Amino acid sequence: MADSVAVKTRPAAAQPPSSGRRTQRARREARAAYLFLAPWFVGLLVITIGPIVASLYLSFTDYSLLSEAKWVGLDNYVKMFTEDPRFLSSLKVTTIYVVVSVPLQLAFALALALVLDRGLRGLPIYRSIFYLPSLLGGSVAIAILWRKVFGSDGLVNAVLSIFGIEGPGWVGDPDTALGTLILLHVWTFGAPMIIFLAGLRQIPSSYYEAAAVDGAGALRQFRSITMPLLTPIIFFNLVLEVIKSFQSFTQAFIVSNGKGGPADSTLFYTLYLYLKGFKSYDMGYAAAMAWILLLIIAALTGVNFLASKYWVFYGDTK
Amino acid sequence: MSSGKKMWSAALLATAMLAVTAACGSGGDGGETADGKIKLRFSYWGSDARQKMTEEAIKKFEAKNPTIDVEGEFSDWASYYETLSTKVAASDAPDVMSLEIRGLREYADRGTLADLSSSVNTADFDAKVLGTGAIDGKQFAIPTGVNAFSLMVNPALVEQAKAKMPDDTTWTWQDYVDLSAKVTSGSGGKIIGTQLSWNPAYLQIFAAQKGEPFYNGNQLGVSAATIKEWWAIMQNLIKTKGTPDAAKSSEIGATSIDQSLLGTNGGAMGMWWSNQLGAVTKASGQNIDLLRMPKIEGATTGGMFLQPAMFYAASSKSEHAAEAAKFIDYMVNDPEAGAIILSDRGLPASSKVLAAVREKLPDADKKTLDFLDKVKGELADPPAAPPKGASAMEDILTRYSEEVMFGRMTPDDAAQKFITEANASIAG
Repeated sequence: MADSVAVKTRPAAAQPPSSGRRTQRARREARAAYLFLAPWFVGLLVITIGPIVASLYLSFTDYSLLSEAKWVGLDNYVKMFTEDPRFLSSLKVTTIYVVVSVPLQLAFALALALVLDRGLRGLPIYRSIFYLPSLLGGSVAIAILWRKVFGSDGLVNAVLSIFGIEGPGWVGDPDTALGTLILLHVWTFGAPMIIFLAGLRQIPSSYYEAAAVDGAGALRQFRSITMPLLTPIIFFNLVLEVIKSFQSFTQAFIVSNGKGGPADSTLFYTLYLYLKGFKSYDMGYAAAMAWILLLIIAALTGVNFLASKYWVFYGDTK
Repeated sequence: MSSGKKMWSAALLATAMLAVTAACGSGGDGGETADGKIKLRFSYWGSDARQKMTEEAIKKFEAKNPTIDVEGEFSDWASYYETLSTKVAASDAPDVMSLEIRGLREYADRGTLADLSSSVNTADFDAKVLGTGAIDGKQFAIPTGVNAFSLMVNPALVEQAKAKMPDDTTWTWQDYVDLSAKVTSGSGGKIIGTQLSWNPAYLQIFAAQKGEPFYNGNQLGVSAATIKEWWAIMQNLIKTKGTPDAAKSSEIGATSIDQSLLGTNGGAMGMWWSNQLGAVTKASGQNIDLLRMPKIEGATTGGMFLQPAMFYAASSKSEHAAEAAKFIDYMVNDPEAGAIILSDRGLPASSKVLAAVREKLPDADKKTLDFLDKVKGELADPPAAPPKGASAMEDILTRYSEEVMFGRMTPDDAAQKFITEANASIAG
């Protein structure tokens, strides 16, 4: 059905059909273009835009999945901020997670990128090895491994016991459970590291040579050349990682066995959204949460861009 | 011209392919296979072993009913309701579905299930057990088999720790705590007495001993005082080292029964539904026995009860209601199906099937059966299906219980908040 719409929406001939051949050919090409676009367009409508619009509608309803949706206006949104302490606590947990883990991860990635940028032999091998956690970090298998490693009889406590320290059950304790997830996120530093490496490669070596002639040490070079020229890359990584980590789900889902426990200490926003939608049969509320999440991420990204004016340095604009 | 034609056909081909794949996704509705057989979809959850058994039973059913083709839709427990509710939302509900008691009202109250009163033979069922699948006089669900929430114990480990097995007809909660502590200390900490359980069935039994029902219509029937008393048992267990500390307990609680203390021979006791006896026995490789739950001193009832392990229900939207009922009837009443499924879905609810398969049951199930026979006279009536929203009860209870065990909330505070949240969940 949608493809016939696409066919009909070809641009109406605006100019009078005077200069015969050319316009006819252009029109035919346009028609062909729309035809070839049609499959993609169907996908966009049915798989992306349709569900987005539907979720916006559902966010204003009481919808249990099993029966018809009932319009309730802004109830879901109001309830979120007035009657649902778990919503606020999930927001808090997620914010702590993002605020702590993203800077740590970026610092770690940058430090390793600097080390690897020294023209090491076998760089591609190291690069691949350090990138590996990024590929694996979001996976179920690693989350399960994490639960074992940080369990009370896990690897971490086995190492600690060598030094006579009796470690707690890290994932079972509400004070430390979130910390293990932050560590897991920091561990997946590979993707920003690769981007940092590429950024470092772009800084002309003549700058360093000139600085060295002027007697600048390694630290001074880093502060006055590397950092300023790298700020656009840092900014890029920051925006990307903030967005990504606000939507983290798998790690908390697996490590806490799908519950966000112990005592809600790992109840990520998306995990709570999932529990509301699929376990409490409150899909309308879950849809409203999804829209609030979108707003939060959009706002954060906006703030990031505004703030970037004060610290990001684009070589060609100043 | 010819190139234009080519483009047309290429684009059309592309869209056609998309349409075809989309059609594949929605699956053959209508429910007739290519060779004119009636297609019946049956959804259930469980282990690989259950899938093999079920497929075998389905094959026998198809041999008896050559015009029906049953297609099993199988998933693991964790994602079962997610998948099922999505299918129902998409008007693509399976003709026959498995449900458990906590999910029953979620579906029945929303008009998704068909009344099976007149279409499935239930003559050989215990009326009270059967009643758990009925809501407002309509038999929306047929129980497959029964379970009792009980205490499991490894007698060898208890004796190894130089402790004595309790007399479960008279033992109290204090005895239970003392025994757990003794096992831990007697074994030098190598074997832990017991592990904590936050199963609502456990609280339900405890509350029944105080004369309180768990649900009172659409409200929680348990009082704050009872919940606090109940938490005190677990706090005592942690304090006397009869059970691991709060963090380790929460970690163990998140694992499956195979990795439980009892299952790994690291602990002597634990509480589960009785149909788990086989699994825990297999995991531990040692002899595990069932015991009556301890009692409050002076309690007149033990509070234990039978509950259906799961139910079969038929979709109210099914185009093949008669065939769906026929299949359910076969699964619960036919001794041939019973001989394949045995006690996988609880000890058969039909007394006729139970009698027919009794001798074929594995040892653990024979033990369960003997135990249930022994305690039959003391059991409370099977409770009616809990209100909508009860599926969240275990999570809510676990959360507040952990807050108390970690000392992050006072029992008073947590009990109040638990009652408020639980009531809000089941009122909706």
